[in-house]
Amino acid sequence: MPDAGRVEIRLTLNGEPRQIAVAPFDTLLDVLRDQVGLTGVKKGCDMGACGACTVLADGRRIKACLALAASYDGRAITTIEGIGSPEALHPLQAAFVRHDALQCGYCTPGQILSALALIEEGVADREAIREGLSGNLCRCGAHPAIVEAVAEVAGL
Amino acid sequence: MSGDAFTYSRAADLAEALAAGAAPGAAFLAGGTDLTPLWKARAARPDHVVDISRLPLAQIEATSAGLTLGALAKLSDVAADPAVRRDYPLVAEAIRASASGQVRNMASLGGALLQRTRCAYFRDAAMACNKREPGSGCGALAGENRGAAIFGASEACVATHPSDVAVALAALDAQVEIAGPKGTRRIALADLHREPGDTPEIDTTLAHGEVVTRIEVPAAPAWRATYLKVRDRASFEFAVISVAAALEIANGRIVQARLCAGGVAPKPWRLTAAEAALAGHAPTLDVFAEAADLAVQGARPLAHNGFKIDLLRRAVARALATVGGAA
Amino acid sequence: MSVLESPVRLEAALKATGRAVYEAETPMAGMLHAALVEAPIANGRVTAVDGAAARGLPGFADLVSYAEAEALKPSGTVALIREPQIHFAAQPVALVVAETLQQAEACARAVKLELAAEPAVTAIDQALERAYAPELVGRYPAATRRGDAEAALSEAHLVVRQRYETAVNNHHPMEPHSMVCAWEGDRVVVHTGTQATFATQRVIAHAFQIPVDHVRVVSRFMGGGFGCKGPLWWPWMIWALQASRRTGRPVRLELTRAQLFHLVGRRQETVQDLAIGLDAEGRLSAIDHAVLAQTATHGEFCDSTARATRWLYACPNVTTSHRLVATNEPLPIPMRAPGVAPGTFALESALDEAAHALGLDPVELRVRNYADRDLDAEKPWSSNGLLECYRIGAERFGWSARPAAGTARDGRWAIGWGMASSVYGVHRQPCNVKVRLEVDAGVLVQCGTQDFGQGAYTAIGQLAAEGLGLSMEKVRVELGDTDLPEGPYTGGSMVTASFTPPTEEAVGAIRTRLAALARADAASPLAGADDLVFEDGLVRSRARNAAESVAELMARLAPDGLEAEAFAALPDSVDYSANAYGAIFVEVGVDPDLGEIRVRRVGAAFAAGRILNPLLARSQYVGGLIGGIGMALHERVATDRASGRIVGETFADYLIPVHADMPDFDIAMVDEVDPLLPGGVKGIGMLGSAGVQAAIANAVFHAVGRRVRHLPIRIEDVIG
Repeated sequence: MPDAGRVEIRLTLNGEPRQIAVAPFDTLLDVLRDQVGLTGVKKGCDMGACGACTVLADGRRIKACLALAASYDGRAITTIEGIGSPEALHPLQAAFVRHDALQCGYCTPGQILSALALIEEGVADREAIREGLSGNLCRCGAHPAIVEAVAEVAGL
Repeated sequence: MSGDAFTYSRAADLAEALAAGAAPGAAFLAGGTDLTPLWKARAARPDHVVDISRLPLAQIEATSAGLTLGALAKLSDVAADPAVRRDYPLVAEAIRASASGQVRNMASLGGALLQRTRCAYFRDAAMACNKREPGSGCGALAGENRGAAIFGASEACVATHPSDVAVALAALDAQVEIAGPKGTRRIALADLHREPGDTPEIDTTLAHGEVVTRIEVPAAPAWRATYLKVRDRASFEFAVISVAAALEIANGRIVQARLCAGGVAPKPWRLTAAEAALAGHAPTLDVFAEAADLAVQGARPLAHNGFKIDLLRRAVARALATVGGAA
Repeated sequence: MSVLESPVRLEAALKATGRAVYEAETPMAGMLHAALVEAPIANGRVTAVDGAAARGLPGFADLVSYAEAEALKPSGTVALIREPQIHFAAQPVALVVAETLQQAEACARAVKLELAAEPAVTAIDQALERAYAPELVGRYPAATRRGDAEAALSEAHLVVRQRYETAVNNHHPMEPHSMVCAWEGDRVVVHTGTQATFATQRVIAHAFQIPVDHVRVVSRFMGGGFGCKGPLWWPWMIWALQASRRTGRPVRLELTRAQLFHLVGRRQETVQDLAIGLDAEGRLSAIDHAVLAQTATHGEFCDSTARATRWLYACPNVTTSHRLVATNEPLPIPMRAPGVAPGTFALESALDEAAHALGLDPVELRVRNYADRDLDAEKPWSSNGLLECYRIGAERFGWSARPAAGTARDGRWAIGWGMASSVYGVHRQPCNVKVRLEVDAGVLVQCGTQDFGQGAYTAIGQLAAEGLGLSMEKVRVELGDTDLPEGPYTGGSMVTASFTPPTEEAVGAIRTRLAALARADAASPLAGADDLVFEDGLVRSRARNAAESVAELMARLAPDGLEAEAFAALPDSVDYSANAYGAIFVEVGVDPDLGEIRVRRVGAAFAAGRILNPLLARSQYVGGLIGGIGMALHERVATDRASGRIVGETFADYLIPVHADMPDFDIAMVDEVDPLLPGGVKGIGMLGSAGVQAAIANAVFHAVGRRVRHLPIRIEDVIG
C-alpha cells in the first residue's frame, strides 16, 4: 500500500526552487495560498468554474483549484507575485491600472495570468480575447476594460 | 472544499498503473479537471488515486489511415495540432467550444470522454441521485430537469453526458483502445457509454481498473463538417444541446451523412435515422428538414426540457444547412 | 474632468500585483479552520447534535451549536445560531473547528444530527393563501394610493395589464465571505470583508457582551459585496468568533461558493401584476402595480419593488402594493439596484407594450410622461435629468435610425433595439472624516467606511488632493477599520455622497488654517494676501504674483502637521426629492431558430449629479449594466421543490455573464449640477443595474416579436 502520509514535491515557484510536503489530496491552490503564503492566487469557487485561481504551469494557464499539488511535482509554477510588483509593474499590470480594468480586484490576478498566457497562445482580435478570457469570471463588471488592457499589450 | 482523505501514487508505466488501479477504491487521475471537483463534492470517493498523467500516452499522430490520439493528450494540444485542424476540424471545433482555456490545458482527451454528468442532483451529495447513491432516487426526474436527457434515459436516471469532443468523435466513428488487467481491447466510442437502465451508477462499459489509452479516428473522406453548440451564454458553458454534422457530398448528392447530438442523452447520441434519410439525396433545405424531423423521433420530454426536442430539430436543420451549402 | 484626465484607482497596483491582502488572508499564528454542519431538512428542528464521532477525528478542536450559542446575548442577529429551529434547507446547525480545513470538513461530516422534520413550503405558489402585506418596504410604506387608478383604468384609451416575473438571483462577489479573528482576553480583532464595518463591530460586542471598543473590525480589501456582505453573514461569523474564544486560538471561516447560494441572501423573486392606462396620445392616466414576493420564515424582507412606479412618471392615479409569502427558503436581502431592477423591468416593459400598441416611439412616450415634480411626495425634484438622458442617449445610440420591428438582420441574428429609463434614489448617511496634512505635504485621509471595489479609496483621496491642490501621489487613504472615524455602510449608492461633505469640510478647514498661517507670516511672500488658492502643490496669490509650496509653508509654519476632522449629519427632513436617472438603449441579436440571445450594444446616458472621477464612474456604470445583463439573460436560482435545496450551487449551473457575452458600451455622463444636494453627489453604483433588463426584453420583442415577461429570458422563451 502507498504511504498514507505526506508527499514531498519540488516546485519551481516564481523562479525559485521549493520543496514542500503536501497531503495527497491538497490542491495546488491550497498549497500556494496556505502553505506558501502566495495569497495573490485567489479562491473564488474552488470548483474550476471562475478562474480566480489561475496560475501558469510551465507557462501554460491552469486552474490551481483543479490541480492536485502532488501531480505537479517538478513543474514550474508562476503566480501573480512572480509577474511584477507595485514598484515594477509588468506592462499588462500597468495596462490594467491605466484602463481601470479592475474594481474589487479579487479576480484580477487570475485575469492577468490568463491574459498573459492567452497573448502567448496568440489572439487576433478583441473577439478572440473575449472568448479566450471567458474562463475568468468577474462580478464587478470590469470585462470591457480588461479586454482593452489586454488588446493594448497584445498590440491590437 | 474537500472529501475524505485518499492516498496517492504516480504510475511509472502502464503496467504499474493497471496494477495500482485494480485495487478496490482506486481511481485514475489524469488532468484532474473532473475528478478533483467530484471529490470535493463527494460525488467521487476514491481511497487511492493513481496518477497516470505522465504516462507516455499523449501522442497526436495523423497518418493516411487515420488519426491516433493518446488518451492523455491535452485537449488544447489536440485542438491546436495542425493535422487535426486541417483534416479533422470537427474535433478541433468541438474542443474549442468546450470549457475554458485553462481547463483545456489540463484536461486529457480520455478524461473528457469519461467525465461524469453535470446533473446538479449528481453533484450535490445531499440530493437524491441513483447515479451517485444507488437506490436514493432520481431527484431530477420530477425536479429541476431543464438540462435532462430526452433520449436514452430511464426512470432511474435522466442525466446527460456533457462532453463536446465525444460528440464530434462519435460522429466520426472513433474507436477507443482500452487497457486493463486482462489485456487490451478496442471498442467503438459509440459503445463506450451506456444507457442507465436500472444501474445508472455505471456510466461506461469500462470495467474497474480499465483505462482508455488511445482514441483512433478513421481517415475521413471529404467531410464537410460543423459542430453547432447551443447555449445560454456565449462561452464557458456546457451545451444546452449540440450537434456534430458531417456530410460527404459528391456530384450534387449526399454520399453519406453523420449526425451526433450532445446534451440530449447519457451518451453522444447518433441520429442514425436522420443519417439514413440523407444518404443519396441532394442537399436541399427540404431534405434537411425531413432529416431534422427524423432526428427527434422517439424523444421523450420531462417537465422542463421539452424545448430541447424542438431545439434539436432546429439545430440539426441549421447544422446541415451550414455544411450542406443550402443555407 | 474627462475619463482620460481621471486619476487611476488608488489601490489598483496593489490589486494587479496580488499584493492587496484580502482580510481572511491575514496571517494568524496557530490558526484553526472552521467548517459548518448543514441540516438536510428544510423545516423542523434539531433535537440533538452528537459530536462524539467528530471529537475522535484527527485535528478536532471544538464544536459550537445552538446549545453553546446560548451563551451569546439574544438578538435578531444571533437567533439563527442560538435556536434549534431549521428554517431552510442546508441551514447550518453547528460549526466545527480543527487544525486544517480538510480536517474541519471531515469533522463536520462526522457530526450526527437528530432532527424532527416538518413539512416545508419550498415555493411561494405553495402558500399563496398565506400572502400578507408587510408594513414597510425598506423605509417606505408598502402600499400607496393616489387618485383612483381603478376608475381611470376603466376609462383609459389603452390598458396594458400583464404579469411580470423575476427569478431569484444571488450576489456572488468573487471573494466568498470569510474572516479570521483573534481574541486577547475580552478584546478581539476581526478581519472580514464586510459592507458594514461599524455595525459588525456593534453586533459582535452585543453578542459577547463586551464593550464596543474592545472589538476591532478591519475590512480594508474586499472582493465585492453587492449587498450580501452584511447582516446575513453575521451569525456564522459570530459562531466562528465563539469557537475562537473557547479554544483561545485564531479561527478562519471561509464560506464555500455553494454556501453563498443559501446562506447570505438573495434577490427575492417577484410576481408583479401591473396595469397601466393611457390616453390616445400615450399619456399615463393610471397605474396599478401589485407585487408578490418571497421572504423567509425566520425574517422579513421586502424590496421596494413598486416604489419608483409611484413617481417616475407623471400619472395622476397610481396604486401600488407589496405582499409577501414566507417560505422555507433563504432570506432575501438587497442586491444591486434592489427593488428598482425588478420593478422597472415590469414598468418599462409595460410602457414598451403601450408604445407598440399606440404606434409611438418608446422615447417619445416617456418624454410625454415626464414628471416635473414628485407627485407621490408632492415635492420638487432636487434635479431631474431624465429628458437630457433621453436626448443624449438616443442621439449617441442613433435611435432615430431604429429599423422597423423584425426587419434588421445580421447573418443568423435578428436585430432588435429597445430602451428603458433607469432611476435610483439619492441616499446619504452620517459620516466622519479625518484629514491630516503632513509636514512633507503628504495627505492622509481616514474614514472607517469600506471599499468593496466601487472606488471609495480613490474618490475620497481625490477630494483631499484636489482641495489642497496636491497630486494624487501625495495622498494616502485609510478605510475599512473601526479604529478610524465612523463612516457609512456600503449600500444604496451612498458612500461617496456621504463622505464628500465632511471630507470637503475637513480639507477646507486645513486650507483655511494654512492660508491664515501664511498670511500672518511676515517671512512669506504671501503675507497679507487675501486671494490665496491651492494648486499644483503651491499656495498662490495671483494679485501678488507670488507662490510658496505647501511643503515649504508646512515646514516653516506647521512642522507638526495640520489635522481636521469633520462630521456631516443628516437633516431631519428636506423639501425636495432626489434621484439619479438614466436612459438605456440596447441592441440585441436573437437567433430566431436556436433561441440564443446576445446583447451587442448598450448605449446609456446617466444624470447623477457631480461625478468625481469619470474613469471610475464609467467602470461603475458598465459594471452595473453587466449585472443587469446577467439578471436579464442568465441568472436564475432554481429550487428543488421536493427537498427545498437549491439545485446546482456552482458557477457551472448558475450562469453569470462572461467576457464573450460583452457588448460594446457607450456611456454618456450628462453634466448635472444639483445645488440642493450636499456636495452635489448623487451616487451611481446602482443606476446601471436597473432599466437595462427591460431594455433587453424590449429589444428582444423588437427583434423577433416575442414579448417575454419573465426573467431571465432564455432559449425556450424565444423558440417556445
